[in-house]
Amino acid sequence: MTKQRDSGFASTTTRRRLLLGAAAGGAALAAPPIIRVRSASVRSVRWWYFFDDPNAAPDALVSEFQKLHPDIRIDAERIPNNGGADYATRLYSALLAGQGPDVAMMKIANLSRLLEMEALLPIDSYLASWPGRGDIAEQHWKLAAAPDGKAYILPVQYVVLYLYIRQDWLDAAKMAPPKTLDEMLEVARAMTGKDRWGIGVRGGAGGQDFWASVVMGEVPWEKGAFVKPAAVAANDWYLDLFRKYKVTPPSTPGDGFQQTINNLKAGRTGMTIHHIGSASGVVESLGNRITAVPLPGGPRGAWATYGDGGQSIFAKCKDPDAAWAWISWLSAGEPNAAFNRLTGQVPVATSMAKNWTEVPKRFVDATVNSLPIARILPNLSQTADFVRTVWPQATQKAFLGQISSAEMMGAFEKLYFS
Amino acid sequence: MKRSATPLLMLAPALTATGILVFFPVLNTLWLSLHNVVLFRPKSQPFVGLANYVEALHSQAFWDSLGRSVVWVVGSVSLQFLIGLGVALLLNRDFRMRGLVRAIIVVPWALPSVIIGLVWTWMLDFNFGILNQIGVAFGLLDEPVAWLAQSGTAMAAVMAAIVWQGFPFFAITLLAGLQSIPHDLYEGAEIDGANAWYTFVYVTVPGLLPVMVTALLLRMIWVANSLDLILVMTGGGPGTSTQTLPLHAFLTAWSGGNYGSGAALSTLLTLILLSVITIYVVRGQVDG
Repeated sequence: MTKQRDSGFASTTTRRRLLLGAAAGGAALAAPPIIRVRSASVRSVRWWYFFDDPNAAPDALVSEFQKLHPDIRIDAERIPNNGGADYATRLYSALLAGQGPDVAMMKIANLSRLLEMEALLPIDSYLASWPGRGDIAEQHWKLAAAPDGKAYILPVQYVVLYLYIRQDWLDAAKMAPPKTLDEMLEVARAMTGKDRWGIGVRGGAGGQDFWASVVMGEVPWEKGAFVKPAAVAANDWYLDLFRKYKVTPPSTPGDGFQQTINNLKAGRTGMTIHHIGSASGVVESLGNRITAVPLPGGPRGAWATYGDGGQSIFAKCKDPDAAWAWISWLSAGEPNAAFNRLTGQVPVATSMAKNWTEVPKRFVDATVNSLPIARILPNLSQTADFVRTVWPQATQKAFLGQISSAEMMGAFEKLYFS
Repeated sequence: MKRSATPLLMLAPALTATGILVFFPVLNTLWLSLHNVVLFRPKSQPFVGLANYVEALHSQAFWDSLGRSVVWVVGSVSLQFLIGLGVALLLNRDFRMRGLVRAIIVVPWALPSVIIGLVWTWMLDFNFGILNQIGVAFGLLDEPVAWLAQSGTAMAAVMAAIVWQGFPFFAITLLAGLQSIPHDLYEGAEIDGANAWYTFVYVTVPGLLPVMVTALLLRMIWVANSLDLILVMTGGGPGTSTQTLPLHAFLTAWSGGNYGSGAALSTLLTLILLSVITIYVVRGQVDG
């Protein structure tokens, strides 16, 4: 009985507390004028970003910036990337729904589609008076330039693909790092043996970057370019790495980044193509036995895919000045270096990049030396489809002999020129 | 008047929630399927009538993915059913730790599809997969097989994963059905001299039939709609070897940004599934 009474008291007390809590909540919602004035004076910038390393967080950078700019609040939102496909779709969807960020990291491959959506704000006027502009190499500005001649992307990091190669396997074969594609094939054949293969090639997502190195030099940008004999022959050379010479693992058609990099680390392959972002992990597994060189070139020169490099302000951004303050701070000097320590890439600020010691020098050299041959896929709306569905499906079918090299190239011709 | 309004009032929250969560998205999908909606061209979404449906029905990719869906559903559901039935018959017998075994059997069913997809992807991996290592070690394979990278084995590999995930559903459902069959019938069959096979065919199967049909129908619908496992394990590849109809619709909408065509493909899939359900409902009414 007593117990019941006690319970009744307890519930009455709880109810009173709840009522008090509700009253306090109501008072808080009513918001004292002084607090409202303060929150209205803070300029907020909603920033979307993606980092490959799930443990990397930009909190310290955000805090540092906010200390320097107490009137600006950065609302940082990490967005799943999944090789870029998920990030891009989420970005398009959010922009369409009117819920997009003010500013975001983005890939150059999405530039055309975002321009078609009229979603981006030109940053030329900001760049004109920005002191950091001269510290970023001209090649970055060229690659990030939009088809309409305006600037929409501010470079913040850069990645250029290079060739990882097992130095000890090269030494054992008494060979030098390849400078041409034919030399690369020779090296790959020499490295291929029992349960090991010369080169890891992605047949799945992301594989178009190495494919472009081999084939795109043979594709002058005009109608019919993909199906010209030289382009089809270059494509055959690429496919034959798997089909004819068998210097890539049998799992190649389905391999993505994880498979190719794990095969390299485990000593199943002697070469693969990636960028400096994976160097720390590779060195952790292989130490001095691994090195990197710029990608070998074909008859018309070398091509190394450039990407993942910049940030853009969106047209609906309510405070572009605040957004510019944030992204320009991230692209210059020490903040640019700190940002790239998080992403594992190389700073675009030349003053920071020249003494970059986050990874062994040979990988920095391979990256820097690849910048002159850095290229991007055509900056067209179709490129997003090409990367996400058309290239992987056609290439996997061609690897498996379901379609010919000419049919594979025909699919690309149809996408771009039909 | 007051009496007739009360049930409606009580149902109103559920009806409202269903309307918002089910009917609105369905109507929106129908609207999308009649318009040319491309994600990155928001200013131009013209009405195109049935053009998206006509385009889908004229596309080889639609018929190929529909064919693969049939293989996927018939192959994997029948295997799940047969294994589930066998396990249910075993679990219906008395043996030590039967309760524990029944609990363990449910584990694959309780795991999220994404986890199952990742686990099976690595188990089937060419270089590091345990299935290849066991196969080679025991002489079942001459050399490791790239299960997920060959068009001839990729579908079978993904089906193995969904069979592993789905058989506990049949095992547990059919076990419940088995336990509802009156024991008298088995005693009668024994007195009449029926052997195990005849008892199974003339007592167990008829007793289980309503449960079997319902379980098969439900699982067929779930498997026909499912794309998560395939998406994680192969993404529809290599090439389009494992691209079923729902995955084709998903990739068209999500990866391609073509929501109009994707919605038309989804609607066609829904119509196909509705026809199966209609047959079941009509048959049930006739039987009733």
